[in-house]
Parts: sequence; C-alpha cells; structure tokens
Amino acid sequence: MADTSTRTLISETQLNRPLGRAVYWTVLVLVVTAFTLVFLGPLYWLVTGGLKSTQEVIQNPPTFFPQQIHTDTYTEAWSKLNMGRLLFNTLYYAFGALAFQLVFDVAAAYALSKLRPVLGSLILGMMLATLMIPSTVLIVPQYLTVLDLPLLHLNLINTPWAIWLPTVANAFNIFLLKRFFDSVPEELMAAAAIDGASPLRALWSIVLPMSRPILGVVSIFAVVNVWKDFLWPLLVQPDPKNQPLNIGINSLSVGVPQNVVIAALAIASVPTVVFFLIFQRNIMAGLTSGGLKG
Amino acid sequence: MTRDRLLRRTVALAAAAGLALTAAACSSGSDAGNSGDSGKPAAGASLDPNTKVTISIDCQPPTTKPAERKQWAEDVTAFNKLYPNVTINAKDASPCEEPASFTAQLKGKTQPDVFYTYFTDLEQVLDADQAEDITQYVNEQTVPALKDIDPSVLKTLTSEGKLYGLPTTNYKMGLLYNRKLFKQAGLDPDKPPTTWAEIREDAKKIAALGNGVNGYGDYSATNQGGWHFTAELYGLGGSMTTEDGKKAAFNTPEGKQVLQNLYDMRWTDNTMGATQSLKWPDLMTQMSTDKLGMYVGAPDDITYMVQTLKGNYEDYGMGPMPGGRGALLGGADYMFKKGSTPDQIKAGIAWVNFKWLTMGKGQFDYARTKADGLPVGLPQPFLFGGSTLDADNKAKAASATVPVQNYAPYLATSVPGKTEPANAQQIYKVLDGAVSAVLTDKNANVDKLLSDAESQVNQVLANLQ
Amino acid sequence: MAAISVSARRKTEPPAHADPSQGRAALRQRFRRHLTGHGFLLGALLCFAYFSWYPMVREVIMSFQKTKRGKTTWVGTENLDRIFADPDFWHAWRNTLLFTVLALVLGFAVPFVVAVLLNELRHAKAYLRVLVYLPVMLPPVASVLLFKYFYDPGYGLFNAILKSLHLPTSAWLNSPTTSMLSVVIAATWMNMGGATLIYLAALQGIPGELYEAAELDGAGLLRRIWHVTIPQTRLILSLLLLLQIVATMQVFVEPYLLTGGNGPRNSTLTVVNLIYQYAFSFNNYGSASALGLVMLLVLAGFSALYVRLSRTND
Repeated sequence: MADTSTRTLISETQLNRPLGRAVYWTVLVLVVTAFTLVFLGPLYWLVTGGLKSTQEVIQNPPTFFPQQIHTDTYTEAWSKLNMGRLLFNTLYYAFGALAFQLVFDVAAAYALSKLRPVLGSLILGMMLATLMIPSTVLIVPQYLTVLDLPLLHLNLINTPWAIWLPTVANAFNIFLLKRFFDSVPEELMAAAAIDGASPLRALWSIVLPMSRPILGVVSIFAVVNVWKDFLWPLLVQPDPKNQPLNIGINSLSVGVPQNVVIAALAIASVPTVVFFLIFQRNIMAGLTSGGLKG
Repeated sequence: MTRDRLLRRTVALAAAAGLALTAAACSSGSDAGNSGDSGKPAAGASLDPNTKVTISIDCQPPTTKPAERKQWAEDVTAFNKLYPNVTINAKDASPCEEPASFTAQLKGKTQPDVFYTYFTDLEQVLDADQAEDITQYVNEQTVPALKDIDPSVLKTLTSEGKLYGLPTTNYKMGLLYNRKLFKQAGLDPDKPPTTWAEIREDAKKIAALGNGVNGYGDYSATNQGGWHFTAELYGLGGSMTTEDGKKAAFNTPEGKQVLQNLYDMRWTDNTMGATQSLKWPDLMTQMSTDKLGMYVGAPDDITYMVQTLKGNYEDYGMGPMPGGRGALLGGADYMFKKGSTPDQIKAGIAWVNFKWLTMGKGQFDYARTKADGLPVGLPQPFLFGGSTLDADNKAKAASATVPVQNYAPYLATSVPGKTEPANAQQIYKVLDGAVSAVLTDKNANVDKLLSDAESQVNQVLANLQ
Repeated sequence: MAAISVSARRKTEPPAHADPSQGRAALRQRFRRHLTGHGFLLGALLCFAYFSWYPMVREVIMSFQKTKRGKTTWVGTENLDRIFADPDFWHAWRNTLLFTVLALVLGFAVPFVVAVLLNELRHAKAYLRVLVYLPVMLPPVASVLLFKYFYDPGYGLFNAILKSLHLPTSAWLNSPTTSMLSVVIAATWMNMGGATLIYLAALQGIPGELYEAAELDGAGLLRRIWHVTIPQTRLILSLLLLLQIVATMQVFVEPYLLTGGNGPRNSTLTVVNLIYQYAFSFNNYGSASALGLVMLLVLAGFSALYVRLSRTND
C-alpha cells in the first residue's frame, strides 16, 4: 500500500510550499497530541487508577499521579475476580464463534451469491429483516429456545453452544460476504465448473483466496461482537465459572472497592490491546483495503 | 408425575385438616419418611434425617467474598451432620438476583429448587406460577423461631393467606449521618435529628462548613427517588396506595410535605448541593469522603461504606426514620420452586432455618463472624421480636466489633416497619420523576407534580387489574 | 485488489449447457445445483431458524398475550393500547430520536472529518489509525465504567480539568439537559473507530486524477471536498448511514450502564431501555413484546423509505 504516492485532496506540490509545510506540521503535531490525549489518556487513567488507594480513587479533586503506588490492588483483582478464568472463557467463546461463523456464514454467502438455489433471495431478505429488530426484545424468546431447542429438545444453557450457535445468525456478515463474493468474476466460476471442480472446490480454490480482506473484516466483527456482548451471556452462562469477562467483572464488582474494579478493568483491557498491537497491521489492512468499498 | 404430585398435596391438605387419614396413603416410596411419626401432619413434620434428597439453591457468596464463602461451606458441613442425606447443590451467580436473568428463569422455569428473591418479587413469582405454597410445611417444629418473626415480614411473603417464602435478611430504613461532620458543625453526634424541621436546621449548620460539604442528600434516579419518597412518606405516617392496592394514596399533606421539604432544602436552604439525579451508591461515596452530613438509608449502607469505600465505623451513626411514624422495611427471602417434592421443600426449609433463622448458627454465629473479620453489631437483620430478639441482642453485644453505641438512637426508638407497596418498581418510577423535578427545577410546582403522579400511578394500577 | 472494483453483477443465470438433447441431464444438473446450494445454506439456515426467526414469531405472538397467575390468555390489542397510553412511550421515542440525531452529528461527522484528516497526513498514519480503533477493542464494560468515572461531578476527571482551566463545570450525566449528550460522547469515543476506518478505505479509493482535474478548474480545498470527496464516497456513506441509524435507534447498553436506563427525569430513557424495563423491572412481558413490535415496524418502514429515496436519487 503506497500511501504516499497516491494523490489525495491536497497535492504534494501544495504541501511542499513553505506555507503548506508550516501548516502541515502544525496540523500534524496538533492531531498527534490530541489523538494521544483522547485515546491513550483514558487508558493512562485506567492503569494508574488501579494503582491508587480506595480513598484516593474517589477523592475530590482527583489526583493525576497516584500518591502511593499500590500494586497489590492488581494481584487482589486478579485473584478475587478470577480474571484468568474469565479471560480464558472470553477467548474460548470468541474464537469458537469465529470458527462457526467462518464455516456457516461463508458457506451461506457462497450459496446465495454463486449457487443461487431456489428461494435464495427470499432467504436473504428474511435474514436481512433480522437486522431491524432489537436483540433486547428477542432475548426472552431466544432464551426459551436455547433452554429447549424445538424438535431436538436440547438444553444449551451453561454450554458454549449457547453462545456460538446464535452468533451464526448474523445477517450483516452474510450480507458483507455475499456482496464481496458477487464481485468474483463469473467466468472464473464457469471455467472451474468446466474443469469439473465441485462447488466446494471452487469455493476453496477460487473464491476464498480472492476474499481474504473480507474474511479478515468478518473475523474481526465476529470476535469483537462476542467480546462486547452483554445481556445474552448474562442469561445463558449463569455459572460464574463459565462467564466471559464483561459479565464476570460487572457482576462481581458489586461490593468490591472501586480501585480493585479499575485494576480488573485494566487487566481485562491488556490482552486486547496487546492482541491488537500485534495484529494491527493485518486488522488495519483487512478493514481498510476495500472490504467495505461502495 | 403431575397426578402424583396432586395426590400428595391432597393428602397433605387432608392430613393437615385433621382428617384421620394415615400417611401410608402416600403413593410413592420417597415419602416413606412421613409415615414414621404417627399423628403429626405429614407436610408439617420436619425432614426425616434418613431421607435422601438433593436441592439446588442460589446466592452462595461469590469468590469476591472469601470469608462469607468459607462460612457457607462450614455451614453446609454442619448441616450435613444433622441431615447427612441432604445434598446441597449451591449456585454462586452474583448478584443473587439480576432482573433479566430472574425474569428469564421464571419464564423458563429454570430457577433453583430453593431460590432467592426480594420481598417485592412475590407478585412476579406468582404471576409466573413458580412458587410452592409452603404454609403446611412451616410451623414451630420446622422453624422454631417462627413465633418471633416480625409479622410484617411474613406478611410480605404471604398472598391470599398462603405463605410462599422464608426471610433471610431485612432492613428498616433510618437516618444515616456522619458523626465527624456533626462534631465539626458543633452538633451532638449522639443526638441525631428526628424530625424534618430538625434535619433542615442541622443540614444548614453542616453545609456551612463549606468546602463542598452538603448537609443532606437524597437519591432521585433509577427508581431510587421513588423508593426514598416512599420511605420518607412512611416516616410521616402516609401510605403509597390504598389498603386494597387499587388506588394511589400519596397525594396528601404528608406527601406534599415530603416533596416540599426536599424543595426547601435544595433551593431555599441550599444544603443539598447542585449535583442531583444521584443513585446508589453516590450518597455513600459522598459520606465516606466526608462530603455529606445526612441521608435516609439502611443499616448495611454502613458496611458498604467501610468495606467497599474504606471508611471508618467510628464516623457513621444511625438514627430513627424522621417523623418516626413508620419505617420502610425491605429484605430478601428464599422461595421454593413449583413442582418441588415435599422432601425437597422440607430439606430447603431445614437449610434456610439452619443458616438464617437459628440463633447461634449460620448468620447468627457472631463469634465466628467476628473471628472471620466481618462486622458484628450492625442493627440488621431485624427479623425478630420477643425472646429471640433479646437473645440476639445479647449475643451481638458479646461479639460486637463495631461501635454499637453509634446506632443507639436508631435502636432506642421503635419505629413500626412498613413494607413496600405491591408493584413497587412501577410506582417508584413515577415518583422518581416527581422527586427529580423538585431537586432539579427551581420552578417546580409541588401540588401539580403530586397530582400528576397520582393520576399516573392510578393508571398503572388500573392496568394491572 | 483489482478484482474488487470490477463490478461483476450478472443479470443472467450462469451458462448452463443449454443443449436440447441433454435436456434431462441439464434438469438433473440444475436440481443438483439447487440441492447443493441449500446444502451450503443449511447450517446458517438452522441457526437463523432457531435463534432469529422462531424467536421473532414467538415474540409477535407474545405481544398479543398476557400471563397472570400462570395462565396465558389472548388479549387482542390490549398491550398495544397500553403502551400508547404510557407517557414514557413518547418520552422514549423523543429521546431515541434525539440520541440518533446527536449520534449522527457526532458519530457520523466526526469519523468522516477524522478520516479526511488522516488521509491527508503523510506521517504517523499507522499510529493514529491504531489509536482511533483502540477503543473499539476495549471491553465495553471497561469503557463505560471509565467514562462514568470521568463524568462524576464530584471526583471526576472532566470537572477537574474544567476547574483547573477556570471554566464552568457541568453535572454531565446527572443533569437532564446534558445527560444525553454525555452518553453520545461516550458512545462516539467507543465506536468511532470502525466508521473512521471504513471512510478511510473509501477515501483511498478515490482516483487522484479527479482532484487534479478539480484543481485545474481552480477549485479550492472546500470545493474539492464538496465536489469530489463527498460524491465519490456517497454510496458507502449512504449505506453506512442507514445501518448506523438502524443501529443507533436500538441503543441500549450505553444509557443502561451509564445512567441506569432512565437518566435524570427520564432524559436518557430510550425505546429499547423502556422495553427492558417493561420486561424485566415491571414483569410485563406483553408490553415489552408489543413495544418491540412497534419498533420493528418503525425501523422496517424507515429502511424501506430510505432504500426508495436513495434509488430515486440515483
């Protein structure tokens, strides 16, 4: 991605003039400072908040540096809130959901885009209609369904399936994938068919390799959605041993000193931040390289 | 299954009614325990220690409360010495009751066999038809302290003459105050105000300390404003609804006085500060940082201020509910899942009795509580009267770890407890608006706010019929 | 990435070997294609059926029912009549619209401006992009509790900063006039990363020649934005706008965790928060379902209108 060589709103020549240069550098410094303050500042507050004493955390006016460093708050948060377990659960749910979505949603989008079976567009329409209804409304009928799956009579409560399977019903991801698959040239598909490739093979060796950016986007959405969900895991994972971070921290934080809660939040944020920094190149490339282009 | 259950209940009822029907009529073998004691009503007998039964129960203390969790485990062991064949299957989801999961569980009939509810939940549980009538099971033999349990507590667990739950803890609201600020303002920390006129005067003196200190504070968001309005109205002798619960009854001089008081303290005396729309735990945070003189609350707020906010017991005192005519009473209890077997109900009652209703055991084992570093001596729970209360007070004083004399003004005045209205949350929400308006709008019209709230509550109540 | 910009929208079915002598074989082949297609769809279909469509049907049924003492009865439109009579119904819709407008002004315009800005910078690009997206990755409970902490009128950071700058402080979430704006600011901080990156992608797709041509015509900076940047990104903007409106109208978690749902004098009570209250605080599942149904109809109507308008504009 040669960012610098692409012509954008302002031309290179304009920037290279003395005035343009001065303006450019002022804007750059301002933007970098402002962004650092706005986006990293809160994280600083989170990390140092966990190092303060309980009384200092709720002190008015607040202090910018902890008067005394209390690292034991972090160990207390880690052990009392059982953070290791919560983190593991969260990752387990997130990546399980990702696997199910990649398999089922990609297959569905491929079918709707390339195989186009009868009633395909009706099915797509019905899927898109689910975007219009707030999930909060559906939560009780969904809970009743998970409790006793119609026809199969299985109870999924307290199992990871209760989180994994409903995430497959994600119309937005199917819609994104289908739009992307639509742009894979039909001639390639036809050529593969003439060569005797089965639909599965065509998907594997033609469509998927071309769709890496969108698969990246969908993967991020899949993981982030599980990571962010609140009400649903609260209902279907009543056992604290099985709860993900969001629920665990929120429910256990009742009656725990504020500085310990803040330390727990800081701990909870670390893995995402690290994960994100390691994979930021891939994530950013996935999100910006045109997966969602008009 | 259903027929079997029906039969058993018929038998139980018939037996209780004094019909000479032998317990042998019971159809299933698991009821064999009942047949032993002749002449006693089958359902009313306590659990036969030989009965093998498993019960699930929620509200086990979570890992964040290691001392309470350890006590729970000890109590289960002790209980199993008495009843070796009862298996207690504990669930430690926290908090004990969360509205969304509670509703979902009732809809899905997935609550534990013995499940935790608040006093105000009875209507919802009955609408879902999810609790067993335990009237026949609860007597002086199964719950020895029964005669001393505050009747107003049992009343909240009773509907149409049937008892549906056993209480575990309760509170009566009173006036919490900061003794440190009282001293600084030249007030006597052992003599808290008992009327709203006195509160106004004291609040002025405390607010005069400056430095952002407020004399008095009150909640006015997330239905807690309505809850406190109710408590303050009870203090003046008022009621939220008519006796039959069909009409609003707070548009009275007392109701007006509550709102007018708040208005005057907020806008005329300026003793409540500019920040309003407070909700739990804002007032506790303010008081524990010595920024608030007084507010209306429950005794366990003190525990929260000390354990969670790291305040000191010495700094907090408690006086009776201003007005002294009634104190809002709330609390929690266990109910028994619809469809539980008689043995499960008996086992559940035996456990609740052991853990929460027996002097010297479970939550009343004060020596252990003290040894575990938990506070002893707070005026809560407030379940008993009569000889049990005396025994409790004596035991509590013997192991007290907190300055009990700080709550003497609260204990000295016996304010009758008054339970929350049926469908409390919907009523509170309406009153929340009125309280909030008084505290945030200088041009608020108290009369209009009250009459608007009255017609809204009447509408809500009419819809529920 | 050339393949992406190729618009490969076909109007016809893929070439099925239309040889009359192979009529039956072709038929069989078509049948097989449909069958394979549904085979590929099966997993997702089952999940949709179980976890979306069936609950939706159940929800519609429940909105015409009422449960009292364990007995469920049909009540016709009683639930609907009741929610229309509830003064909070109109509050909630007004608040939801206010939230949507504020969230669009902030949550739509801010990311766009940021994206344009980022696209012009030649340095620190990766760093800035990572920063903008960072909040999206934080656990929402962390972000929300953090903002609650910043907003606190007593020990909060925001008022401390304002005070140190000798500016008037605000009650933020505790005042009926500023509570909704405070919620929107927090929500924007948490969610703007996604939109910013999508705009950035769209901006990078604008051919540089267009700007050069505009410059030759003597167009200034603002005119270039107006005549090149915006029209070129219009399609993605309008799609995102629709999705964002639909999503913001369903806002729940932010006001729920920040203000407990109602907010001062019901100022942050949104429609979905009201649904939550009906269902879980007031034990009135019928009203909750009925309000859910109303919301569904409003959103569907809005989307249909939107799609129609954007078609006629083309």
